[in-house]
Amino acid sequence: MKPFAYAVLTLALSASFAANAATPPDTLVIAQSIDDASSFDPAEGFELTSVQVFTNLYQRLVQSDPQNPNELKPTLASSWEAGKDNRSLTVTLRDGATFASGNPARPEDVIFSLSRVVKLNLDPSFILTQLGWTKENVESQLKKIDANHVQISWQANVSPAYVLSLLAAPVASILDAKTVLANQQNNDLGNKWLATHSAGSGPFQIRRYVPHEVVLLTANPRSPGDAPKLKNILIKNVPEAATRRLLLEQGDTDIARNLGVDQISALKGKPGVKPLAIPMASLYYIQFNIEAQPALKNPALWQAARYLFDYHGIADDLLKGQFQVHQSFLPAGFPGALNETPYQYDPEKAKAILAKAGLKDVSFKLAVSNQPPYLDIAQALQASFAKGGIKVELIPGLSTEVATNVKAHKYEATLNAWGADYFDPNTNASAFAWNPEDGSKTLAWRSNWHIPELSKQTLAATAESDPAKRIALYQAMQRDVMKNSPYVIGLQARNLIAVRDNLKGYVQGINPDMVYYSQVSK
Amino acid sequence: MANSATQAGLARQFWRGGSRLITSLLSLLVTLLGLLAFTFMLSHQSPVDPVLQVAGDRASESTYQQVRHDLGLDQPLPVQFWRYLEHLARGDLGMSHITAQPVTSDLARAFPATLELATCAMIFGAVFGITLALLAAWKPGGLLDNLARLISLLGYSVPVFWLGLLGLLLFYAVLHWSAGPGRLDDIWIYTLEPKTGLVLVDSWLSGDREMFRNAIAHLWLPVAVLGMLSMAAITRLLRAALLEENGKEYVTLARAKGASRTRILLCHIFPNVRGTLITVLGLSYATLLEGSVLTETVFAWPGVGRYLTTALFASDVPAILGSTLLIGGCFVLLNALVDALTWLTDPRTR
Repeated sequence: MKPFAYAVLTLALSASFAANAATPPDTLVIAQSIDDASSFDPAEGFELTSVQVFTNLYQRLVQSDPQNPNELKPTLASSWEAGKDNRSLTVTLRDGATFASGNPARPEDVIFSLSRVVKLNLDPSFILTQLGWTKENVESQLKKIDANHVQISWQANVSPAYVLSLLAAPVASILDAKTVLANQQNNDLGNKWLATHSAGSGPFQIRRYVPHEVVLLTANPRSPGDAPKLKNILIKNVPEAATRRLLLEQGDTDIARNLGVDQISALKGKPGVKPLAIPMASLYYIQFNIEAQPALKNPALWQAARYLFDYHGIADDLLKGQFQVHQSFLPAGFPGALNETPYQYDPEKAKAILAKAGLKDVSFKLAVSNQPPYLDIAQALQASFAKGGIKVELIPGLSTEVATNVKAHKYEATLNAWGADYFDPNTNASAFAWNPEDGSKTLAWRSNWHIPELSKQTLAATAESDPAKRIALYQAMQRDVMKNSPYVIGLQARNLIAVRDNLKGYVQGINPDMVYYSQVSK
Repeated sequence: MANSATQAGLARQFWRGGSRLITSLLSLLVTLLGLLAFTFMLSHQSPVDPVLQVAGDRASESTYQQVRHDLGLDQPLPVQFWRYLEHLARGDLGMSHITAQPVTSDLARAFPATLELATCAMIFGAVFGITLALLAAWKPGGLLDNLARLISLLGYSVPVFWLGLLGLLLFYAVLHWSAGPGRLDDIWIYTLEPKTGLVLVDSWLSGDREMFRNAIAHLWLPVAVLGMLSMAAITRLLRAALLEENGKEYVTLARAKGASRTRILLCHIFPNVRGTLITVLGLSYATLLEGSVLTETVFAWPGVGRYLTTALFASDVPAILGSTLLIGGCFVLLNALVDALTWLTDPRTR
């Protein structure tokens, strides 16, 4: 029995140690899944984990104000001026701004950072190539004027205001060119090195990154702007939501991300924790491939489908707290978003619309990711569509499999989510209301929806300089798409997270990059 | 004369041993190559577009084509496979698409985590499994036997995912006996110098006894949960083997000679089931070394099981092939070890 008693004793000893675990006072500990992260290079990283970290590692010339995202705040730039022809911006860099390495921020760094995005041609590069920048011409579009002025020009017919909102996207982060070039391998412009390191002027820098395990950030006291309040940010990989909840309850983490509805309801009323539901720029919608079968091409079917989406049943009962009803292509919180919800679940009305159009025994296959909440929503839709006489067959698969098929036009209908890539209405307009027929696989293209008129309007809206007129254009387009399109937009997601209640100053906005750690204290 | 006969015998034995070694090495190589080819083919049959996984849903057509080229996916399949083998011969398993790191360094990080968990779980399973089986066979149909059966049935049938979550809830959240998910508390993450990748060993080598204790506090619960599985397997198979021996003549003889029940079980029967025992232990260990996806997920344990699953979901072919090769290699080697041990301990197999 002796060894057994000894084992029990050892356990009890380790247990006594485990009992008082709390997060270190100078460190913000975050539990989330980081399995998606592939690179922390702003020219490449486009996954939730990397994008959430970018704002804390790098600064852009201009950035959304954390408290009021609609306002662009000079960050690494101190001011800017549009050229007379509305095809250029002259940017004044912030006085005395330095990178974490101590190197000063120069016009050369701006030119290097923006041009390498285009030259590397990776995932998020499409945000900047909209300006007509190519590998060949990008250098000529970026010009150093003097020691702290740089001129940014473009060829596309877009307004300077629109260009500024693109320059506020994480892909336009300004890098310390000297440090990056010192670490480049095989002329890769530092792409490989930056996958696991940082060279920016943001409030934090990467101290250690172990894929699938941990991202450890440490404060950058040189960051221009407010100095970070905490010394370290520790983002640890906890792939299971139930485990994240336990860690938070025990005080072993300060923030638990991406919880489910059941975890949030279990946390309600628990001492020491504060559940939060933060609206996200992520819309859940049904999309039809209108060439897949004749019925799917019929606008009456699209119309009937709008009355068969059980909006409130899903948002208020099935997945309570995780969604709000939203029916236009710009999410609530975005400039110009239309928040009216004219469509209600009404199977009788849907039946009447179908009968009037002579559509009988309609059935279609709905490709859907087998992950929550997609499958839950799809099952609810299957039931609500059946009430209107439409048979929906669910085709669950891996989300990458669904995406592969949708992009190859191998589907009839799909339930999917669309998130914003940058904080400007065009991010969604260019997906839902744009099909340039030039090989761009926009959402409209995926639906085989040919819309020369709407596409023209989308382009015109990016060229409009007057903010009020621009918003009016987007609102008209949203109404058009809401009334007559092969999409049924139904829900806007909320990000369910929970924090310890001693945490102060944590701000998270509607876009994935709007995660601000610098003012957090505890 | 006698001398030369011995020499010839020795040479024959040597020759037989050598050819046996070469044959096993060859079969090992062929097995692994077949495994690779099969996995490679299967990965390319997957309905997921690996380019989409890397380039993302939004990328422009030119980005898409560039990524496709960079991944070598614009080449015919046999060419891709040949290139993979060429790199493999140089010890290069390629770059993982998801982590953007060499697969070798990914595996060098993930495998020790699994090795640590699996080895401890194996020891747990073996100690408790053998004890339970012996207790059960001591008096078949008795109270202890039924208890052993119940425990092993539970270990078999309770989903490990559920067991893990429940274990965390009880031992971590309520009783505070376990330090919870992960391999170490956050404060140690800064200080631990990864030398072997085995946290127990590394924390011991660091000389910080508190860190070592913390590692144990994190390790014991996933070990117990995973160990339950192999314990169940070991108990069931070993009990059956023990009972089968129980009916044989030499047992009746021993009993007639007045040997005690304990003596018969421990000194007569137990040594005779060593073949089964070695096989069962080897198989259990091999299964554990594959990495347990569910246990690793619940306990945020960054092992091979999770690495492979994440890679599978993303159609990350180099990572899938690398992990399969590693796991396959472990399986083949353990099998060879089991064979060798059986050969050594059982003269009948020579």
